[in-house]
Amino acid sequence: MSNMNLYSRGDKLFVIVNMVLIAIFMLSTLYPFIYIASLSLSTGFEARAGNVVLTPVGFTLEAYKQVLSEPQFWTSYKNTFIYTIFGTLMSLAFIIPGAYALSRPQLYGRRFWNLTVAFTMWFNAGLIPFFLNMRDLGLLDSYFGIIIGFAVNGFNIILLRNFFEAIPQSFEEAARMDGANEFQVLWKVYMPLSKPAIATVALFCIVSRWNGFFWAMVLLQDEDKIPLQVYLRHVIVELSDDEEFANSLLTSAYSFETVSAAIIVCSIIPILLIYPFLQKYFSKGILLGGVKE
Amino acid sequence: MSGVSLQGLVKTYGDIQVVHGIDLEVQEKEFVVLVGPSGCGKSTTLRMIAGLEEISDGDLSIDGRFVNNVAPKDRDVAMVFQNYALYPHLNVAENIAFGLRIRRESKAVIDASIKEVGEILGLTPYLGRRPADLSGGQRQRVAMGRAIVRRPKVFLFDEPLSNLDAKLRTQMRAEIKRLHNRLGVTSIYVTHDQVEAMTLADRIVVMHDGRIEQTGTPMELFLNPVNTFVAGFLGSPPMNMINARIESGDNGPIARFGELSLALVDTPTMRDAIGTDITLGIRPEFVTVSTQADTHGTIPVDVELIETLGSEALIHATLQGEPFIIRAGTVGQMDVLNGISGFSVEPNLIRVFDAKTGMALPDQVMKQ
Amino acid sequence: MTAGTSKLISRQKPTRLARITQHLKREWQLYLMLLPTVIWLLVFLYKPMYGLQIAFKDYSVFRGVAGSPWIGFEHFHILFENDQFLRALKNTVIMSAYGLLFGFPIPILLALMFNEVLNQFFKKTAQTIVYLPHFISSVIIAGIVITSFSPSAGIVNTILGWFGVDSIYFLTKPEWFRPIFIGTGIWQEAGFQSIVYLAAIAGVSPTLYESAVVDGANRWQMMWKITIPSIMTTIIIMLIIRIGNILEISFEMIILLYQPATYETADVVNTFIYRQGLQGGQYDFAAAAGLFNAVVAFILVMTANTISKRYSRTSLW
Repeated sequence: MSNMNLYSRGDKLFVIVNMVLIAIFMLSTLYPFIYIASLSLSTGFEARAGNVVLTPVGFTLEAYKQVLSEPQFWTSYKNTFIYTIFGTLMSLAFIIPGAYALSRPQLYGRRFWNLTVAFTMWFNAGLIPFFLNMRDLGLLDSYFGIIIGFAVNGFNIILLRNFFEAIPQSFEEAARMDGANEFQVLWKVYMPLSKPAIATVALFCIVSRWNGFFWAMVLLQDEDKIPLQVYLRHVIVELSDDEEFANSLLTSAYSFETVSAAIIVCSIIPILLIYPFLQKYFSKGILLGGVKE
Repeated sequence: MSGVSLQGLVKTYGDIQVVHGIDLEVQEKEFVVLVGPSGCGKSTTLRMIAGLEEISDGDLSIDGRFVNNVAPKDRDVAMVFQNYALYPHLNVAENIAFGLRIRRESKAVIDASIKEVGEILGLTPYLGRRPADLSGGQRQRVAMGRAIVRRPKVFLFDEPLSNLDAKLRTQMRAEIKRLHNRLGVTSIYVTHDQVEAMTLADRIVVMHDGRIEQTGTPMELFLNPVNTFVAGFLGSPPMNMINARIESGDNGPIARFGELSLALVDTPTMRDAIGTDITLGIRPEFVTVSTQADTHGTIPVDVELIETLGSEALIHATLQGEPFIIRAGTVGQMDVLNGISGFSVEPNLIRVFDAKTGMALPDQVMKQ
Repeated sequence: MTAGTSKLISRQKPTRLARITQHLKREWQLYLMLLPTVIWLLVFLYKPMYGLQIAFKDYSVFRGVAGSPWIGFEHFHILFENDQFLRALKNTVIMSAYGLLFGFPIPILLALMFNEVLNQFFKKTAQTIVYLPHFISSVIIAGIVITSFSPSAGIVNTILGWFGVDSIYFLTKPEWFRPIFIGTGIWQEAGFQSIVYLAAIAGVSPTLYESAVVDGANRWQMMWKITIPSIMTTIIIMLIIRIGNILEISFEMIILLYQPATYETADVVNTFIYRQGLQGGQYDFAAAAGLFNAVVAFILVMTANTISKRYSRTSLW
C-alpha cells in the first residue's frame, strides 16, 4: 500500500491535501503550548506589550526565578507528589484485588457485585451529599481524605476486570492445582500477566491525581495542604481579575503573564515526562474499558 | 492403592444437570481415557476429579480418601491443560518449579527436580527459555513437566494434544504412553479424538450426554460396542450402519434389507429375534471386496470414489442409495480395487443392534 | 461393573446452607479481596445517596441528615421558580447541544484523515500531538485560555490588533463565553476522541480495500464506500451515548473560566449547585438541584445505553 507510484494523480492530490489538513490541526494543537513557553521566557515588558507571538522576545529566566522563589509553589508541588504517589498506590490496592474477585466466575452473586460497581458510573449523589459525607467523616482538610476519598473508580475496576476475564481461566486453575491460594494466584500469575492493563490503570490514576483540582479546592482550606492545581488556579484564575495586583507584578523583567506562563510550564513538565508511557497504553485501555457490563 | 473412585457423580448448573451420575473405578497405574463428543460431560467429570468444579452430588475418593470437599491442591493430583496454561512471564525451569516454590520446597529439592524432569522430557537445553520461544511440542512437554515434578498420585489430562498439528500429535501421543509406562502413575485422560483414546488407553470410557455409554479395553469397545452410539463413535472411518430386518433363511437367520440379505450367526438369541427391525453394523475393515457382484453372498455396491492413502484405500460406495465405506489394503490389489462391484462379510463380523433401542442384541461376542 | 455400589453408601444431598458454607470455605479469599472495594463504595458513594434525602428536608448542620425535619417537595417548588436555576438548566442543554453539533463530527473526520496518511512516522507524530491536550489539567488549559485571551498581552488580541480591531476583554463578554468554552473543549478532546473511530477503522478487513483497488476504486471512493459504512455503527453508538450524557458538562472548566459578568450564558446546573451549596451553604436546596440533575441524567444515560445496546446487537447482522 505504501508505493506512491501505484496511485493515480487524483489519489496523490487527495493524500497531499489530507496531510496538509492534518498538519494544520497538529500545529493548532501545538501552538498554544509553544506560545505559553515563549511567553514564560520573554521579558515582562514585551509580554505586556503583546509582542510575543511565536518565539521568546527578550529572552530571560526571570519569571522562573520568581516562580521558584515562591515557597507556596514548592509546598503545593510537594503536596501534588504526595497525593499522586499515595493516591495511586491506594487506588491500586483497592482496584486490583477487587477487579480480580469480580472477574472470577466462581464468585457468588457476581452479577450483583458488578452492578454495584457499574451503578456508581451511571448515578452519583452529586456534589453536596458527597461533600457533607466527607465532612461527617472528618476528612476535610486532610491528606488522608484526599487520598482515600477518590481511591476507587468504577471505570478503572471494570477496565481491569475485563482484562482479567480475558486471561484463560486455566491459568488460575493450574496455579490452584499447584497449591497457590487466591492471593498467590493474583500476585504470582495474574498480576505479571496483566502488566499492561495495570500500567494503564496506574497511569489513569496518576493523571487524574496530578490534574485533579475541584475537590482539592473544595475540601482543602489549609494552604500547607493544597496541591499544585489549586495553587495554580489561585494564581492564574483568581489573580488575573485583579488588575492592581497584576500591575504591581509588572517589572521590566517579568510580568503577571510571564509568571503565569512559567507556572504552567512547570506543572506540565511531569505529565510530559510520563506521556510516552501514557501513549503506549491508553488507547488499549480505552478500548478495554469500553466493553461495558 | 492410588486408584480413583467415582460413585454417582453428578454436576448441576442451576437447574440444569449436565453429568447424571458417573460410576467409575480407576485402578492404580491404570490409564483411563474418557472420550465422547463435545458437551458430553467428560471435561466436567475430569474437573470434578481435579477439584476445579464443585461436586453437586455423589462421592469421589482418591487413594481411598473421600475428597469431595478437599481443595484441589490437597488432592495430590496434577493436571495438564488443553492450552497448557504455561506462565508466559516465567521460563521453563520456573514454570516447572512453580508448584514446588508455592509449597516452599527447599532450593536443593527444587533444583534436583527441575534437573530430573528436564532430563526425562528432554527439556534440559530449553530450561532458560520463555514459553513464547518454544515450539508447540516443547510447550506440551513443559506442561507435562509441571505435572510430573510434583510426583502426584494421579495425572489428569484435559485434551492436552488438541492444539498440536497432526504429526506432532502422533509423536506426543507415543511420548505420553512411554511416560506412563515409565512412571506408572494412575492417569485419567479426556479427549474427543477416538484415535487418541484407542492408542493410549488401558481402558476407555465412552461418554454421551452426561452418561457413560460403555467402559472397556480399546479392543473390547472396537469389536463389541454395546450400542450404535459407541459403534459409530469409535473407529475411523466409522462403522457402516444398514437398516434391516431379521428373517429366517435357508441356513439360519438372515438380515434382509430390500432385495438383499446377509447371513447372520446362528445363535438362539438371533433366532428368537426373527422379525425384529435391526441395524447392521459393518466395520469398513471387516469386509472382503469382490469384483463379481453376482456371486452368492456378495452384496453389490456402486463405487463412487476411491481414496488411496498409501498402503490402504478408502472406497466410498453406495449401497441402496446409502453411503457405504470400505477400507482395504492396496498392495498388489489395485486392479481388484478398481474393479470392485461388491463385498462379502463373515456373519461373525457383523454387529447386530436393535433398531428401536440402538442396543446390541445380547450374546454376540467377537474375539480379538 | 461398579454400578449399584454407589447406592449403598449414598449420602444425603447437601442442603443449600451446607453448600454455601462449603463454598465460602473454599473461596473466602475472593470475598476478602472484594471486601475493601465494597466497603469503599458503601462509605464514599452509597452513603451520600442516603444523604440525598436532605433534598426533602430542612437540613441543619447541628441536627444532621437523619435528624432534620422533612419538608417534602418544598425545595423543588422553589427551585422551579428560581430564574437562576432555570437559566442554568437552559445553559446546560444549549452548551451541550452546541458542543455536540460542533464537537461530534471532528473526531470522526480526524480519524478518517489519519487513516488516509501513508507515512507512518508522520501519522504517529500527529497522533502523539493531538492526543496530548487530553492529559493536561483543566486548570492549565484554563490558564492557557485566560492568558491567550487576555486583553493586555493575549495573543488573540495581538492578532486582532494587526487588523486594527480594538482589544476585547473576551472573558467578560457573555456572547463570547460559549464559543470559547466549546472551542476549548474541541481543542482539548477531539484528538483523543478519534481513538474510538480509529479502532473501528482498524477493524475493517483489509481485503475489502484490496478488492476495491482491484475494482479500480480511488481513495476518495474507498473512504465513502467502505470506511464510513464500516464504522457507521460506532458513530451511531457514540452519538447516542453523547446525547445521553447531555447533562454531563465539564463544569470544572466553567468554574475556572466564568465570572459574574458571564453567568448569563455560562452558568450551568453544576456550577449553580456549587455556588448555592458549597459557597453559599444552602446544602438542602443545592442537593435538591443535584438530585433533579442526577435523576434526569441517569434516565437519559440508561435510555441511551439501552438503545445503543439494542442497536449494536441488531446491527451486527
